[in-house]
Amino acid sequence: MDKNFQEEQFTGIIKFTPPLYKQRYQFIKDLVGKYKPKKVADLGCADCTLLWMLKFCNCIEVLAGLDICASVMKEKMHRLSPLPGDYLQPAERSLTVTLHHGSVAHKDPCMLGFDLVTCIELIEHLEQSELKKFPEVVFGFMAPSIVVISTPNSEFNPLLPGVTLFRHPDHKFEWNRAQFQSWALETARRYDYSVEFTGVGHPLTGMEKVGFCTQIGVFVRKYPQTTESAQSEKPTEAVYKTVFKAVYPSLKDEKYLQNAVVSEVIFTTQIIKRSLLDRLMSEHEECNDDPTERKSKFQPSMNRFSEDLGKARVEKSMEPFVNGNVVYIPLKTIFSFPKVNRLCGTFEKLHKLIAGKVTLSSDGSAVMFDTEHENEEN
Amino acid sequence: QQTLPSQPPSRRQPQQPHVPPSVSEEPGGRGRQRGLQRLQISAGFQELSLADRGGRRRDFHDLGVNTRQAIEHVQESKTGSSGIMIKLTTNYFRLTSRPQWALYQYHVGYSPEMEARRLRSALLFQHEQLIGKTHAFDGSILFLPKKLGNKVTEVFSRTRNGEDVKITITLTNELPPTSPTCLQFYNIIFRRLLKMLNLQQIGRNYYNPSDPISIPNHRLMVWPGFTSSILQYEESIMLCTDVSHKVLRSETVLDFMYSLYYQVEEQRFRDACAKELIGLIVLTKYNNRTYRVDDIDWDANPQCTFRKADGSEISYVDYYKRQYNQEITDLNQPVLISQSRRKRGSMMPGPVVLIPELCFLTGLTEKMRNDFNMMKDLAVHTRLPPEQRQREIGRLIDYIRKDDNVQKELRDWGLSFDSNLLSFTGRVVQGEKILQSGNVFDYNPQFADWSKETRGAPLICAKPLDNWLLIYTRRNYDIANTLLQNLFKVTPSMGIRMNKATMIEVDDRTEAYLRVLQQSITPDTNIAVCVLSSSRKDKYDAIKKYLCTDCPIPSQCVIARSLSKPQTAMAIATKIALQMNCKMGGELWSVEIPLKQVMVVGIDCYHDTLSGKQSIAGFVASLNQTMTRWFSRCAVQSRGQELVDGLKACLQTALRDWYKWNKYLPSRIIVYRDGVGDGQLNTLVNYEVPQFLDCLKSVGKDYNPRLTVIVVKKRVNTRFFAQSGGALKNPPPGTVVDVEVTRPEWYDFFIVSQAVRNGCVAPTHYNVIYDTSKLKPDHIQRLTYKLCHMYYNWSGVIRVPAPCQYAHKLAFLVGQSVHREPNLLLSDRLYYL
Repeated sequence: MDKNFQEEQFTGIIKFTPPLYKQRYQFIKDLVGKYKPKKVADLGCADCTLLWMLKFCNCIEVLAGLDICASVMKEKMHRLSPLPGDYLQPAERSLTVTLHHGSVAHKDPCMLGFDLVTCIELIEHLEQSELKKFPEVVFGFMAPSIVVISTPNSEFNPLLPGVTLFRHPDHKFEWNRAQFQSWALETARRYDYSVEFTGVGHPLTGMEKVGFCTQIGVFVRKYPQTTESAQSEKPTEAVYKTVFKAVYPSLKDEKYLQNAVVSEVIFTTQIIKRSLLDRLMSEHEECNDDPTERKSKFQPSMNRFSEDLGKARVEKSMEPFVNGNVVYIPLKTIFSFPKVNRLCGTFEKLHKLIAGKVTLSSDGSAVMFDTEHENEEN
Repeated sequence: QQTLPSQPPSRRQPQQPHVPPSVSEEPGGRGRQRGLQRLQISAGFQELSLADRGGRRRDFHDLGVNTRQAIEHVQESKTGSSGIMIKLTTNYFRLTSRPQWALYQYHVGYSPEMEARRLRSALLFQHEQLIGKTHAFDGSILFLPKKLGNKVTEVFSRTRNGEDVKITITLTNELPPTSPTCLQFYNIIFRRLLKMLNLQQIGRNYYNPSDPISIPNHRLMVWPGFTSSILQYEESIMLCTDVSHKVLRSETVLDFMYSLYYQVEEQRFRDACAKELIGLIVLTKYNNRTYRVDDIDWDANPQCTFRKADGSEISYVDYYKRQYNQEITDLNQPVLISQSRRKRGSMMPGPVVLIPELCFLTGLTEKMRNDFNMMKDLAVHTRLPPEQRQREIGRLIDYIRKDDNVQKELRDWGLSFDSNLLSFTGRVVQGEKILQSGNVFDYNPQFADWSKETRGAPLICAKPLDNWLLIYTRRNYDIANTLLQNLFKVTPSMGIRMNKATMIEVDDRTEAYLRVLQQSITPDTNIAVCVLSSSRKDKYDAIKKYLCTDCPIPSQCVIARSLSKPQTAMAIATKIALQMNCKMGGELWSVEIPLKQVMVVGIDCYHDTLSGKQSIAGFVASLNQTMTRWFSRCAVQSRGQELVDGLKACLQTALRDWYKWNKYLPSRIIVYRDGVGDGQLNTLVNYEVPQFLDCLKSVGKDYNPRLTVIVVKKRVNTRFFAQSGGALKNPPPGTVVDVEVTRPEWYDFFIVSQAVRNGCVAPTHYNVIYDTSKLKPDHIQRLTYKLCHMYYNWSGVIRVPAPCQYAHKLAFLVGQSVHREPNLLLSDRLYYL
C-alpha cells in the first residue's frame, strides 16, 4: 500500500540515507538498467512513485500499475501523463502507461506478456487467502521473465524503535529470512523460476547478523516461454478496471514522425534560403557601394559550435540555387542533414513523409520557395 | 464643495479591527450583504490554502477590494442610459447550485499533533464512510457538500506504528453559494475538472496538448486551451472562459543559442543571447515547471556541481541522468539562472540553475513580435473571428458535459453549469463627430476611422517648419529628397508653412549622427528629422536620448525602407507631417467635450524586463478644454521603490502648468490609470489614491477639486459578440456594457471603442475606484469613449483613452531609449509620439 511512508515515521534512531523506500526504488531502477525490460508492471503501485521514476527509463515501452485502492492511485496519477516537453519533442520510443484497479489474487489478461513484474512491500498486506492465490496469478498466469518481491525482514524489527508487532497496522504478517526464503524457493520451484536473495537497508555495524531491513527476492524464469502457447492457454476474462491510460507521443507514430520531419525540413530550408539570399544580396551590394555595412553576417566560425549546418553545406553538387524569384533546395541536401537523416532513415521515406506538406519542384527533386512574397515586407 | 476623506475607506485592513465595516446605513445596493459576509469569514479565507500548485496564491481577481461602497452616487445604480440597445452574447456561463445549497467548512485537528499533510489526510480518510467520497482537504480545512451529524465529531485513527490519533472535526462555517470562500473553492474544483479532462496546466491556464497547431517556419507550436475563472458577477456566479493559445517552441534554449550563433558576430553572441533570452519563460523537459530566465552564467557548465538537500555534491550531468534519465550531450553550454520568487516547500527562494539543453522556450521574443511574417502566420491560428471563437468556447462546456467523471464530480458537489453562453442587452452610444478648424467630419462609425475623411483638411493648429534639419546617409539621399518633395506637396492643405530643410549627409554611424546634431541644432531649430538606414535600435536610442535630454528639441526618425515604396509614399509623408506637427506642439482635431474645467490625466507604466532594474511611469495631463494639448512628465523609479512619490510630483507640476495655461485650477480631475496588474488594485486604492488626495490638499487650503480615479484594463478575458441575424459579429465601436458581467462591489463598465479587421474585438474594462465627481455613470462612460478619439497618432478610435496611450508612448520611449526623465522644456508637446 502506501509503502514510501513507512520509514518516515521511524526517524528515531535508525535513519537510512537515502531513505529506505528510495533505496528500494533505486534497486528496481538498477535492475531495469541491467535487464532492459520493455514491459514492466508494478503490483501494489500505490501513489505511482515507482512508475513515475520508471517512465524516464528509455527501454520501457509499456508500464502498468495495479492496486487494490483506486483513490490512492488517483491522487497523483496525473504525473504519469506526458509533459508538454514530450509533445514538443516526441521521443524515439513509444510509451503507454496504464493503471488498473484490482487485486493480485485475480487474473486479468492485461497483465500478460510482461518482462518484469515488481511487488514492492506488497505481500505482507495480503490476507492468507490472497497470499495463497498470489503465486499462481503472478508466476503461473502472468509469468514474466523476472519477478521482484520485497518484504520486511522481521529479524530487523528489534532495531526499529516503536515497532512492537509489525511495522504497519495493515501488515498481515512479517517474515524472517528463513520464512521468506522457504516460501520463495517453494514458489520458484513450482513455477520453474530461479531465485536469488538480497535486500536493502544495512543494519548498524555489529548487528549484521539480522540481515537487511528489507529483504528482496529476484525471480528469473528458467525457460523462455513460447508466447503463443502460453497466451492461448489463458483465455481469461478482464476483471481489472482501467483507471488511467496515457499514450506518449512517439516518433513510432506516423503522425508525430511526419510532424517532426516536416518541421525540421521547413526550418532548415528556411535557414539555407535566408543565407543564400543574404549572400546574393551582399554580393549585389558590394558591386554598388558601401561595403562597410553588412559584413560577415552569415559566416559562423566553426570552432565551438559545429552542428548540422556546417556539414550540410559541403558538397558542391547539392548546392541550393536561385532561379528568378524561386529558390530551389535539393532534397538530397536536405536528406544529408543529420537530424533529417536520423528521422527518416531512407531517402524514399523522406519523400513520402513530406509529400503534400512542402512545395516541391515539378520533378520532385527539390524544395521550392517563392521569394517574391518575402520581399514585400522588406 | 464637499470635503474629502483623507483616505478612501477600504475594507480589508486586518491591523485595524476597530474600523467597523461602513456598510450599515444604506440598504438596497446589490452586493452589500456579500461584503458583510466577507468580513465574517475572512479568517478562513486567508487560511484557505487548497493550493493547486506551488503554494503561491495571489488574489488575481482583486476579490477583497470593495470600492463601490464609498462612492455615494452609484449606490443605487451604476448603469448609464444613452445609446441604442444591442443584443449581446458573452463568454460567460452561469454556475448553478441546488436550492438550499451550502458548502460545509470544517476544521480538522489532530491529537497528538501530526505534521505531514499526507499523513493527516491518510488518517482522516480512514473514515470515508463518515465523510463520504466527495471532499476537499488541505491538511486542516475540510470542505464537504454535506453536514455531519454533530457540530463536533471525534474519531480515532491508527498510524502505521500503531499510535492512536484522535481526530476532531469541527464545523466552522456553513457557506452560502456566494461567499468568497466558496468562490475560491469553485475555482479549485474547476481546475480539478480541467485536469480530469486531460488538459495540461501551463502558467495559469489549461491547454490541450493532443491537437497542437504546428508552424514549422518558425519552429512554433500553438496549443489551444482555455482561461477560466469563476467569480461573483453582478447578478450571479459565473464561469468566464476564453480561448487561449499557448505559443511553445519546439526547440530547446540550446538549439536557439546555436541558431543565434550563426546569425550574429562572435563578439556580439553573448550580448545577443542575453537580449533575446533574458525575461523569457522556459519550460523544463523533465517536469512541468516554467521558469523566467533572469541571467545566463557563461562561466558555468553542466559539469559544475551543486549541493543537494542531503548535503552531497553532484554535477548537473549526473543529477539529471540519475533523477530523470536525461542525457546532457553538450558539456560546454552555459547555464541559465532563474531567481525563484516563490517558496518551494521549506526551501528558501534562491536562484535556480537550468540547463539550456533541457529547457524549451515558450512565448515570443521581442524580435519575433516585430517579425511581421511570423505574427501574420500566427494570427491565422490565434485570431479567431467571433463565430469560431464562440464555438471554441462552447467546446469547453461540451467537454464538461460529456465527460462522465467530470459530471459525477460536479453532481457530487451539487453544482452545474448553464449550457448556453450568457446573453443580455448592451448599449451603443452615439458616434462622435470630428471637429477640425471649423469643419465637422462624419465617418462610418463601424470602421472607427476618419483618415480618409480628414485627409488634406486644415489642422486646428499648424506649427510652421521654418527651420528644420533633414539628416540622411549618402545611400539614402534620394529617399530623403523624395520625402522632402512629398512633404512640400502634403503640408499646404493642412496649413503647415514649410521652408526647405537644412539637408545634412552623415556617415551611417551613431557618433556621426550625434556630431551633426550637436553642430547643426540652433535655438531656432523646430525639429530634426533623421532618415535611418536600418531599424538598428542603438542609433535610434542615442538620437532620442540626446534630443530628449541634453538638447531638448522634437525629433522624427524614419526608417528609409518605409519610404522606399512609391505607392505608399504620399500616405507616409502625410502621416509624418501630422506626427511632426504634434511633436512641435500642433493640434490636429478634437471632439465635443461638454465638461468644463476638467483636467484629464493618463498614467501608464513601463517595466524594464531586460535589466529588471527600473520602472517608468508615464504621466500626461490635459492642458486645455478641448483636450488637444497635453502636459507630460515621467517618474523613473528603481526596484523596490514606490511609484507614488514620483506620481505626486508629476501631478503637482501638471497643476502648475494647467494654472499657467488657464489662469485658474481645474475643478475636476479625472485620472485614467493604466498599467495596473492583476491583484494590485488594493495597493492602488490604499496608497496611490490617498497620495493623490494629499497632493491636491497641498496645493492650497481652499482648493478642493473633485477627483475621479479610473483603472483601465486592456487585458481582460471578457469578449462580447453581437447577435445580428443568425450570426455573431463583433460589437460595433461605442458598445458599452455595465450590467451582468460587471462586479457588484465595483463601479465598473466595459467599452468596445475600437474596430478590428480580423479576430475578436477586445473590450476595455474601466473600474472607477474613487469618485467624488458626482458625475452620472453615463457621463463618465461618454467622456471615456470621447477620449478614445483623441490619440493623434491614429486617425481613428483606439482601445484606451488617449491620455493612457500617450502615457504608454512616453513611458516606452523613456524606458527603452532615454532611461532618464526627459527635459521639462519639452513637457507641453507630444514629442514622444
